[in-house]
Amino acid sequence: MTFPGQIDIHWSVLAPAIALLVTAAVTLFIALFSRDSRGAAGAALIGVITAGVFTLAQLLSGEANAASFGLRYLGDVPALTLTLVILLGTVAAVLVSWDQLQRGGMEHPEYYPLMLLSALGAVVMASAGDLITLILGLEIMSLPVYALSAWRTRDRQSEEAGMKYFLLGAFGSAILIYGAALVYGAAGSFVYGDVAAALSSGNLTLLATLGGALVLAGLGFKAALAPFHQWAPDVYTGAPTPVVTFMTVVIKIGAFAALLRLATVVFPALQPWLLTALAVMVALTLVVGNFSALMQRGVKRMLAYSSVAHAGYLGLALLATDHGGVAAAAFYLTAYAFMNAGAFAVLSLISDANDHGDDLERFAGLAKRRPWLAAVMTLFMLSLGGIPPLVGFAGKVLVFQAVIDAGYVWLAVLGIATSIVALVYYFRVVAYMYFRESAYEPPAFRSGATQVAIALALAGTLLLGVFPGWWHTLLSAGPRLLAGL
Amino acid sequence: MIALAMIVVPLVAAALVMLARRVLPLARVLAVAGAVATLVLAIFLPGTRPLDLTWLPGIGVSFSLDGNGAGSVLTFAAALMMIPAVLVATTRVASGAAGFAALLLVALGGLNGIFLAKDLVLFYVFWEATLIPGLLLLGIWGGERRREATVKYLVYAVTGSFFMLISILAVKALSGAASFHVIDLMLAAPELPVATQTWLFVGLAIGMAVKLPIWPLHSWLVDLNEQNHPSGAADVLGSLYKVGAFGFFAWGLPLLPAGALRVAPILLALSAVTALYGAFGAIGSNHLKRFLAYGSLSHMGIIGVGVFGMHLAGMSGAMYFLAAQMVSTGGLFLIVGMLYHRRRSLYLADYGGLAKAAPALAAFTLFLIFTFIGVPGLSNFPGEFMSLLGAFQTSPWPAAIATLTVIAAGVYGVNLYQRLFQGRSEAVVKDLDALEMYVLLPVIVGVLLFGLMPAPHLQRIESQSQLAELQLERAAAAPGGITLSDVGGAR
Repeated sequence: MTFPGQIDIHWSVLAPAIALLVTAAVTLFIALFSRDSRGAAGAALIGVITAGVFTLAQLLSGEANAASFGLRYLGDVPALTLTLVILLGTVAAVLVSWDQLQRGGMEHPEYYPLMLLSALGAVVMASAGDLITLILGLEIMSLPVYALSAWRTRDRQSEEAGMKYFLLGAFGSAILIYGAALVYGAAGSFVYGDVAAALSSGNLTLLATLGGALVLAGLGFKAALAPFHQWAPDVYTGAPTPVVTFMTVVIKIGAFAALLRLATVVFPALQPWLLTALAVMVALTLVVGNFSALMQRGVKRMLAYSSVAHAGYLGLALLATDHGGVAAAAFYLTAYAFMNAGAFAVLSLISDANDHGDDLERFAGLAKRRPWLAAVMTLFMLSLGGIPPLVGFAGKVLVFQAVIDAGYVWLAVLGIATSIVALVYYFRVVAYMYFRESAYEPPAFRSGATQVAIALALAGTLLLGVFPGWWHTLLSAGPRLLAGL
Repeated sequence: MIALAMIVVPLVAAALVMLARRVLPLARVLAVAGAVATLVLAIFLPGTRPLDLTWLPGIGVSFSLDGNGAGSVLTFAAALMMIPAVLVATTRVASGAAGFAALLLVALGGLNGIFLAKDLVLFYVFWEATLIPGLLLLGIWGGERRREATVKYLVYAVTGSFFMLISILAVKALSGAASFHVIDLMLAAPELPVATQTWLFVGLAIGMAVKLPIWPLHSWLVDLNEQNHPSGAADVLGSLYKVGAFGFFAWGLPLLPAGALRVAPILLALSAVTALYGAFGAIGSNHLKRFLAYGSLSHMGIIGVGVFGMHLAGMSGAMYFLAAQMVSTGGLFLIVGMLYHRRRSLYLADYGGLAKAAPALAAFTLFLIFTFIGVPGLSNFPGEFMSLLGAFQTSPWPAAIATLTVIAAGVYGVNLYQRLFQGRSEAVVKDLDALEMYVLLPVIVGVLLFGLMPAPHLQRIESQSQLAELQLERAAAAPGGITLSDVGGAR
């Protein structure tokens, strides 16, 4: 459909986002009339699955090539596949919340509309083809999560998490917007393709470089790349576990989806030292994330730092976008979504109603009392550590292969060296579960929702680990809407 | 398809064993059936068509398995030893026996993958995957200092294999090979400059040397054996883990021959040192499992000498020895488990004079000790002899040093038997019971089979050795290449 003012709108491209928006409105409406959050959760699940069906339909229909608003909102393979993963992560988060909200006394039904809006923002970021769309997506994604991370209102730690996240998040957004303005000043356009064309045609000014650097820094905040990662551990530790499940998966994908586009299209047109700066950031992230995770006693905090570390592995792929890095990063994000959501889902079952007691001691002897839960957690830990034949391994191999192909052998070596460190802290959880005794009895299960989330995550971790080929082929194939992708 | 079944069948058996874990007799039957089925598959494996499925086509990784060559012999030995191991596990392990047996079967599936993989990344996948069952067996059922032993094993193995991973990924990127399949890599990788090959080979070698294992990267092995469950079932797995020599033989030498020619002299020297060090370690041990760990370390040194001698006979012999020692070392570990079952001790000092009360046990032990120290006609002899013989052709000095261990083996072997079974003792111990007979039966069959009929197995190994030798000769003949005789002595 084309409007008189040459605005092209492909409804099929927008359908997933619209489905999420409508669902958010519906759940808000349900929340008005019912204090029980289960209704809203059910509606949210239906809405997210509907959005997923729209995305899948478009991906498989062969017209995964459409854009709206003149390449400002894209519906190509990277956008659609990442949208799917975002939706999967949202499903997992909703399922985990189903049990935990009631248990933790956090049952305000507005929870789900906020989560859906944030997922919508992430979808918009994954589809963004220009800086304005990106910023819109970023704000839609971020604002609800600031509130969600302070959801346990009577808990100081949660409150602090919300506050910290809000302040630093706003700071990051401001840097990003400022950078976008400078880029516009230099290139005369917000659309990625135009920006790249303008910059590579010799108009590369200090303005553009500074703008690019600020955009990179702003997104670095959101993606928790060192040295802009400091908020992440505190926020992840303080926020309720279901919210963290959502954050580590959905927010991360949103941020990396945007970074991937920029790394493919815009960054190469900027000064080469920006890529070097990115490489240094990635190296720093790998070291800081992994070594900090090694020091932690609390599992949640360990996972928080490890999520910083995983941002580093994803960052490696950003540097190799010409050598299969886009597909590698998309695969890694999928892998990460499954195994991390699974780990947090298990964590939410182990900790008590107030989310306290996620320290290692709580895992001691779990293998005796809950053999299956321990076995599943073991698989998630090993997958996060990159042990085959689990999905984390396939993700790491793809990323390392891409970065070696791109000529950054030193980064691959660093990545692998830090992987060894990572395995030590992941295996520590396994060791506590199997090799130690403890009298701690984790609370009984409430309903099957969290188990369903764990089963989903487990299926993804195992199936994509043993059969990684088809998903990677799908990620690598298909048309790319912007030059260079 | 048989090759694929050799990986899938043990895994399925493991899952069934876990499902039946509350009914131990059923779990035992399932576990043994899984191991027997794998052994039957291994017998029919040679000569089957290779399997080639796409796996990660985006970066050229395929799911390729081939049951010809040295792998077929090693899978046979591994499957054979798994039968007594699961039998012991499900009868002698007090708590969680089914889980124990299931982990053994999972490890068997992974080991078969290592031996049969024809794609380098796939090989790495199985290489890493076998780590986990071993860690869990040690960590859950191990002795008092199991945690330290687990961490040590984890750190050694993971550090080594991650270096390997860099080399694996880089070898394709640098050589421009079409895929990670062994044929594509063998065509492209030997064309790389010598310097490049050398650092790639060093990367591979760090990972493989840990699992050869070679001095000074061996110390995880002794702790692993010492802290493993006293039944010896987990130690059978430990003796199957020593797959580094196979890695060098099947991948390192043929893919990066010029690099191998550069680095091999160092590895050869280290192997000779390992052989001698292991022998002295065995002589000096008073702990049964440490004794066996050191003794088998000495064997590993000889295997290393055979491989890095880079002579056809030596390489073939080393692979044969590797398979044979899986049987003999595993068998002795099971005997140690039986001794522990009787006297609740692993220290030699607590034993002596058992031959009177348990003549059958003494006879079987003597038989296995003879095998262990390489008496002709039994399984270890052909491989050990050929390893040393081959190495003498190219590198007399390291081979001569390693040969000294044959004398040492006689000393520590006879000494062990004496201290266990001879002398005076009033102790009343049970002789072998029916179960233990069943446990030892496959071991004895394997020892005799490998000892008396080496030809069919050796032929299959040699077809692969010739390929490795050809690659090495080509690299040596290349302009500026290093000749084989530079490695040591005249050829």
